Amino acid sequence: MSTVLEVRHATKSFPGVKALDDVSLEIRKNEVVGLIGENGAGKSTLLKVLNGVYTVDDGEIRVNGRATPIAGPRDAFDHGIAMVFQEQSILTTLSVAENIFLGRENEFLRWGVLDKAAMNAAASVELEKVHLDVDPAASCGDLTFAERQMVEIAKAISLDTRVEGDIVILLDEPTSVLESKEIEVLFRLVRELKGRAAFVFISHRIDEVLDVSDRVYVMRDGKVVAETPASEVSIDRLHELMVGRALHHEYYREARQGEPGSEVAMAARNLSSRTGFRNVSFTLRKGEILGIAGVIGSGREALARCLAGLARIDSGTLEIGGGVRRFGRPSEAVAAGVGYLPRERRIEGVVTGVPVIENMTMSALDEFTAAGLIQRGRERTVARDWIDRLSIKTPSPDTFAGSLSGGNQQKVVLSKWRIADSDIVILDHPTRGIDVGAKEDVYELIRDMTEEGISILLLADTLEEVIGLSHTIIVMRDGEESARFDAPPGAKPSQVDLIRHMV
Amino acid sequence: MNRRIRSFLAGQIPLLTLLGLVVLVGLVDPSFFSFRTLMVLTSDTMTLFLMAAGATFVILMGGIDLSVQAVASMTSVIVAAILPELGILAIPVAVGAGALAGLAGGVSHTKLRIPSFISTLAVGGVVTTIAFLLSDARSIHISGEMRDEHLLWMVGEFLGVKNEIWVGLVVLGILGFVQLRTPFGRLARAIGAGERAVIATGVRVERIKALAFLLSGATAGFSGAMMAARLGSGSPTLANEFLLPAIAAIILGGTALTGGVGGVWRTFVGALIIAVVRIGMTFLGVSVFAQQIVFGVALVAAVAATIDRSKIQIVK
Repeated sequence: MSTVLEVRHATKSFPGVKALDDVSLEIRKNEVVGLIGENGAGKSTLLKVLNGVYTVDDGEIRVNGRATPIAGPRDAFDHGIAMVFQEQSILTTLSVAENIFLGRENEFLRWGVLDKAAMNAAASVELEKVHLDVDPAASCGDLTFAERQMVEIAKAISLDTRVEGDIVILLDEPTSVLESKEIEVLFRLVRELKGRAAFVFISHRIDEVLDVSDRVYVMRDGKVVAETPASEVSIDRLHELMVGRALHHEYYREARQGEPGSEVAMAARNLSSRTGFRNVSFTLRKGEILGIAGVIGSGREALARCLAGLARIDSGTLEIGGGVRRFGRPSEAVAAGVGYLPRERRIEGVVTGVPVIENMTMSALDEFTAAGLIQRGRERTVARDWIDRLSIKTPSPDTFAGSLSGGNQQKVVLSKWRIADSDIVILDHPTRGIDVGAKEDVYELIRDMTEEGISILLLADTLEEVIGLSHTIIVMRDGEESARFDAPPGAKPSQVDLIRHMV
Repeated sequence: MNRRIRSFLAGQIPLLTLLGLVVLVGLVDPSFFSFRTLMVLTSDTMTLFLMAAGATFVILMGGIDLSVQAVASMTSVIVAAILPELGILAIPVAVGAGALAGLAGGVSHTKLRIPSFISTLAVGGVVTTIAFLLSDARSIHISGEMRDEHLLWMVGEFLGVKNEIWVGLVVLGILGFVQLRTPFGRLARAIGAGERAVIATGVRVERIKALAFLLSGATAGFSGAMMAARLGSGSPTLANEFLLPAIAAIILGGTALTGGVGGVWRTFVGALIIAVVRIGMTFLGVSVFAQQIVFGVALVAAVAATIDRSKIQIVK
């Protein structure tokens, strides 16, 4: 079989992380290629490279055997590469036909005016291919989510009327929001359309990948670690390939993992939110690190945001310090002693355009205010003290937070909650995008916090991190708890134990 | 040149522009350099500065207040109308009415989650109508005795310097202090620099915002009172031509339209730049009506130069 699309020795780095490390992959005519890997393994980056959103630092992309730099999504499209996004790119205010031929309107011009009848007729042909029985003139806003996805696939398939050569359709987590019946329809369609296009299929659900794919690539830490025909590999084997590395006990300061106190800092019973989780219960004790593992879409991010007051809990009870709480806004969570270190550090973590000192004291500004005025001397003393204690590398407290390195910005956010005297701190990917040395500093600081009685809810960047740091681990899948592990020092669960319940 | 000095100088561009313009006008007409001329120029600028002073906080937060000129017109009417009965108390009433109008714009912006340019535009319309109703669509005269008795502290002279300047400096001092030393001033700037992080930190952002709009309305209200005192009358269209210069003063002073950078002192400088440009054009014989063209162009140029494009992916 001939190769339609090929990536050769691609490398792509972001500050502090090598997202793709010498990745090679080929997609052949008439096949479905599955791509699996843990969060952060590099799957999304690879897709974005194929789709032209990112350009590689090193290596090349070959389309139909020719080295072809891809300048952007539009360019990718012109080369026959179409992406079906997880968050759909269908415009709900336009009609089905207008969506399918978005950006191709000039093919339907007559005397400079759009010939809607011709466009609708052409759209009907494309809709036929995906067996979607809707009026091409209907507004996409009136379709169901699954129907819109079909429209998106029809849009991708329609490329064959435009591009010479073969087309490749990239499906990024297409099943995550579909019902099981809709998934069946999708898979049947993919098998049927294989004759017209090659597919790349990304999913967290390994069984689905094996079900629909001919060949599977496994990625880990930005590398392709295995490539195998789908018929010759088991789910268990794929789990092992996804996790790989052994745990370093010292790296995560396991020796400092003390026994948590008996006092309960936060107790959740049957928490549910339409933002993405159901019936979540746990108790978080004083000085405990509770890790929550799960893939993207497992509901753990939504849970963290609800506990931080950034989204609403719809039902269930949340007790903090003995009182029942329901947060409507972050300020209420902060007042209850809950601090949040968000995943998007530069957007929700630090205010990059104000000095370090102002970031540090922002949450506790009232404490530094007397008679309406900020007590700048006292503020400075406290800030300097925490800059020392957390060894934050900054030229001065007045340096803009945005000019610090990622690790030091993260320490600024941690110091903010230390200064605010939070009893519970939610760490949402605390080591994302920071270098190895800074990671170890952060682990050290997390242990310091628990020793002082602060309770931590941890959404870790990697499985080993959640295992290495946590006292207790809750695994979430599809919005619900799927497993729970004790993780005392010396008797930690393995990554395979966890991933089995994640995917 | 090292980076520190360079970034310091970049921050001083408005001030250097102002000095350059003063020198330029002085070269054309050396009489410009007299103390008296410069003092009159500065005192004439103070109503513009007051109108823009509070709005600086709104823009610093990344919002905008398009109701300042309407608020100032309304309060000029209020002052003229109630001065005979309330005397000097008319001033706090005017400032309070302005603050209320500002608050209305701010609260509708935060509670209904609509863009501030719409909420303040709407409030401006409402306020203008109120001014027309209060005044019967006429200008209201303030008698000479009334003015001398109650308003001289705003428009007279003290130690050889016009009182408008003293008042302007006091407001500058107070607001500068508010900006640098109070949680409100600090958080207003932080909101402009990164609102989502400020929210996640647990700050009640809506309150800070509402307060900024209130302050904007209050200084605009004060500005209207001063205009009434200077002109000896209040009218519902008195400050109509002031919106563009007021926004231009804030932006030319170096407060970024995208928020996070700037301050009241900068608006003071920006207002003086406007005044010097205006008088310079008069010296050069440019018609008063054509001057708005110059301000419009200068505003667009200043926004283009100072806007932080990383904050806006799509311009609408």
